[in-house]
Amino acid sequence: MLDSSDFPAANAASDALAADPIQVSGLNLSYKKVPVLRDFRLSVPPGAVVGLVGANGAGKTSLMRCLLGLTLPQSGQIRVLGEDPAALSDSARARLGYVAQTPELIEWMKVGQYLDYIGAFYPSWDTRRVQQLTQAWDLSPKQKIVELSLGQKQKVALLQALGHDPELLLLDEPVASLDPLMRRDFMRTLFEHAPQRTVLISSHLLSDLERIITHLVLMKDGRILLADEWDVLVEVLQRVQLRSRLPDEPGVLVQHEHADGVTAVIDTRLFDRSLLPHGVQASGMNLDGLFVELVS
Amino acid sequence: MFFDINPSASVPIYRQIIEQVRRMVAGGLLKPGDDLPSVRTVAVQHAVNPMTVSKAYSLLEAEGLATRQRGMGMVIAQRLPSRKLDDRLELLRPSLQAAAQHARQLEIPLREALALFKQEIEGDK
Repeated sequence: MLDSSDFPAANAASDALAADPIQVSGLNLSYKKVPVLRDFRLSVPPGAVVGLVGANGAGKTSLMRCLLGLTLPQSGQIRVLGEDPAALSDSARARLGYVAQTPELIEWMKVGQYLDYIGAFYPSWDTRRVQQLTQAWDLSPKQKIVELSLGQKQKVALLQALGHDPELLLLDEPVASLDPLMRRDFMRTLFEHAPQRTVLISSHLLSDLERIITHLVLMKDGRILLADEWDVLVEVLQRVQLRSRLPDEPGVLVQHEHADGVTAVIDTRLFDRSLLPHGVQASGMNLDGLFVELVS
Repeated sequence: MFFDINPSASVPIYRQIIEQVRRMVAGGLLKPGDDLPSVRTVAVQHAVNPMTVSKAYSLLEAEGLATRQRGMGMVIAQRLPSRKLDDRLELLRPSLQAAAQHARQLEIPLREALALFKQEIEGDK
């Protein structure tokens, strides 16, 4: 498996001096002695949009919670916007936005009232933009939050995270209950910040991620299986169908034996293609295929 | 002018854009001085990352196919790099590789496959 958890800068020339907004090393977390994150390490360059992908229970939400200081790991170094998340300053908090998997809103408030209430905590809150989006996303400011559907609550949570135009956004399954048109609209809104904001987004909606991510982090059992620039991965990873197993060379990411033979995923940067039997078919992969082959 | 972008294809989005511009220039659909849509327009239309569109445009610029005009965005270059037949054949190779694979899977003899290709090429005339 690849273990390149340090990405090349998304925008190397202009951001050479800017520190990576997310830096994690040696992170270990367990619940009741069950390991959740194991020696986890990740560096996210400014402007990157990182898709965090893995099966349920892979540790994605735990990682997000550690980055926010909501969960304290047993060991490890974490820097978010240059600070320790367990003691994040108000100024760093003002540059950070978060959407939790389950929206945590104040249920008895009305939508407009709630957003005003949240906005008061942020010096850079853009009331006009929030009102525009409230309307564009078919929310009524007068409606009580307790009466909203799950999808509508997710929209309010997104507005809450975007209203102060943060430079770093942590999104944990933010759009699972939204329809495809609304999700497109949300993805467009992500890119309104200039210079480009840094985003870490976990989602099972892989075809959405393919539109927007610059980098992919594929997690399994609290570890990184694969981490690289997405454009590069699309070009170098190939699925091959074989009669028998390949030697365990570097560049063979995974091999599955089944009734008709073996399916393998190879990284053509490392794997010597002359090792492939003549006439073997290699085909490109998308994120869905990659997920199925590597996570199962 | 619209790009046809398929984010789930096994070709990266930036390369899909580059290849479409190359093909449209080679086929005369895009002429010197023609505008390319702005990065923002493409990103918003397809809900894709503007950096990806930007990357495609920068590579087209480096290739000499497009130039950046101040305040006007990208236009097709006045002097296009001359394309030899060999280069143009290379552009055709990926779709033929896919077709060749399908032909093998369907066990279509070479002669019949070539005849079909000939018919497809001449069919438009």
